[in-house]
Amino acid sequence: MRVLLIEDYRPLQQSLTKGLREAGFAVDTTLDGQEGLWYAMSNDYDVIILDLMLPGMDGLSLLKRLRAEGKQNHVLILTAKDTLEDRIKGLNLGADDYLVKPFSFEELLARVRALLRRSYREKNPEIKVQNLRIDLTAQKVWDGRDEIHLTPREYALLEYLAMRAGQTVSRTDIWEHLYEFESDASSNVVDVYIGYLRKKIEQPGRPPVIHTVRGRGYMLGPKA
Amino acid sequence: MMRSLRTRLLLGIICGMLLLLLVFSLIVYVVIQRALVNQFDASLASLARILAASVEVDEDKVELESDVQQMPEFLRPERPAYYELWRSGGTVALRSPLLGADDLVHLEGSINALVFAMSRDKNSRPLRAVGLKFMPRSASTDDKEQPQLTEEQTLTLVVASDASSLQRQLGLLRWLLLGVSGLTTALSVFIAAIVVQQGLNPLNSIAAEIAAIKEDDLTVRVGTTSVPTEIAPIKNRLNDLLSRLEKAFTRERRFTCDVAHELRTPLAGIRSTIEVTLRRARNSAEYQTVLSDCLAIIESMQAMVNNLLMIARLDACQVAFRREQIDLADLVNSRWRPFSGKAVQRRIAFENRVPNDVTVNSDRQNFSMVLSNLLDNAVEYTDDAGQIWVTARRADDSIELTLANTGCQLTSDQVTQVFDCFWRSDASRTGTGTHCGLGLPLVQRLVNALGGSAAAEVQPGGVFTIRLTLPASAP
Repeated sequence: MRVLLIEDYRPLQQSLTKGLREAGFAVDTTLDGQEGLWYAMSNDYDVIILDLMLPGMDGLSLLKRLRAEGKQNHVLILTAKDTLEDRIKGLNLGADDYLVKPFSFEELLARVRALLRRSYREKNPEIKVQNLRIDLTAQKVWDGRDEIHLTPREYALLEYLAMRAGQTVSRTDIWEHLYEFESDASSNVVDVYIGYLRKKIEQPGRPPVIHTVRGRGYMLGPKA
Repeated sequence: MMRSLRTRLLLGIICGMLLLLLVFSLIVYVVIQRALVNQFDASLASLARILAASVEVDEDKVELESDVQQMPEFLRPERPAYYELWRSGGTVALRSPLLGADDLVHLEGSINALVFAMSRDKNSRPLRAVGLKFMPRSASTDDKEQPQLTEEQTLTLVVASDASSLQRQLGLLRWLLLGVSGLTTALSVFIAAIVVQQGLNPLNSIAAEIAAIKEDDLTVRVGTTSVPTEIAPIKNRLNDLLSRLEKAFTRERRFTCDVAHELRTPLAGIRSTIEVTLRRARNSAEYQTVLSDCLAIIESMQAMVNNLLMIARLDACQVAFRREQIDLADLVNSRWRPFSGKAVQRRIAFENRVPNDVTVNSDRQNFSMVLSNLLDNAVEYTDDAGQIWVTARRADDSIELTLANTGCQLTSDQVTQVFDCFWRSDASRTGTGTHCGLGLPLVQRLVNALGGSAAAEVQPGGVFTIRLTLPASAP
């Protein structure tokens, strides 16, 4: 899942980026409001984490512009201001959630994940595909009773396919939602990771979980 | 001691009223009493003259004409009148029958003059008496040839009349005046109480309005309905005070909000840095990085808290200064030293153009803090390969110190805000947090407390200048 983090306080920006990446998210980040808006307009982010006091353009103006341009991204506001008016103003301008600094990183993760599930209209934190069980909260995958150990990248790929289980997902979509700006723009990366994932979750003698749809992309087998 | 306004007004009105009533009553009493007494005296005098005219002296005998003797007032026991005649030697010549053996008061003035007095008879009835010394006519001599009479032949006549009715009338008058005064006083107490109460009503209602003001809502104003002109100034001053309080409270609230914001952001940084690190096992190099990152944040927080404390102390006038003459050029040089390394890294040129003989009268420790803050600020915001220079000149009793740096991106509107707490321009916000927007506000407060002033401006070409006016000698 791809996240845009717009935060101007460097220590916070660096630690959040690190934490989110370690949790399997693809994170683009900037310190500046103007640049943040440009990022948000040119990519389809699953969640935007937005600080309110920003140089260049403040968070609320950015949010307003984003909504005016018809962008439907889920936006989580981070701010040190906690008055009721501030919260209401943010939510009224189209923010989806609100966190007051200082916050617990686990809570931020939980909220980002909740927003993601909403993106994919998936309220159940557990998705079942054939014999696979994907726990979106714990970020763990089970084959029957056995846990399958995946790298964050592999897990992110599986989660993204699972969120859209039963639909064909193009390589471009996968690349756009799972990889950061800085990564190598090659769709071959997707095929490589699909290969890794298949090795871990598919057992010989059982029907495949990930289907290749020739010329269009991949599909995670129908939901159980 | 300030008593209640109501009591003062009431007492004042009633005392004034009472005094006026007393004075007027006294005047009325005196005028009427004199009129009555004069009237009484006039009739007494005419009686005396009639009596005197009817006295006949024949040889040694003194007699009254019989019709005068028979006048009813000399005979009746009620409201009686008396007469008594003395010879010039003091022997009684004649007395009215009602007197019996008693004497009247012996009133003697000059000849033909009337002398009045009060006295009492044997029944202790009040008497008004008049005395008249006169020359009686002789019964034997011819009317036309009145012989020259001597002093020995004069008679003194005293006529007295019962004055009970006069006394009664005067007594009645006294009681009347006393009663009217008493009643008027009682009524005026009542009326004054009502009037004072009515008059003080606006004060009570404004007091009630003031009492209804809550400390969490200072937007209300008193006396929105019309108030008497005497109270209007109080109302206006009070409303002015409320406005000032409201502004001060709003400023305080914003300041508290800003402080909270400025403390929360670095706390969020520390918390998320530590939490993210703790999510998995790291190698020692990573832990070291994280710890030194957190330490840096804590150091900047500590600096901010120190600045805030200093500002609070300055605002509360709790900072004591030890003034001395300080060589300005020397101090600028020594304060620049900590920043020179950073300046060299960024190729910033620094020039101390302060003349050698310039001294200021200030507190060394605190003025050093001012210079350090200004230089720190300058190094932070000067463009790479830019310039910083310090100049000073003497102006009357003060020294004008100017610190300038290139690379300023502030507009002249924004420059007016540099002394506001926590204000930072957009461009400077992405700092590491060491510049939290308290440096220049602290400088301004310190300089003010040290008896000087600070002003900032931006000149064409992006030159930012801070001009300090400082006392040259001890105040």
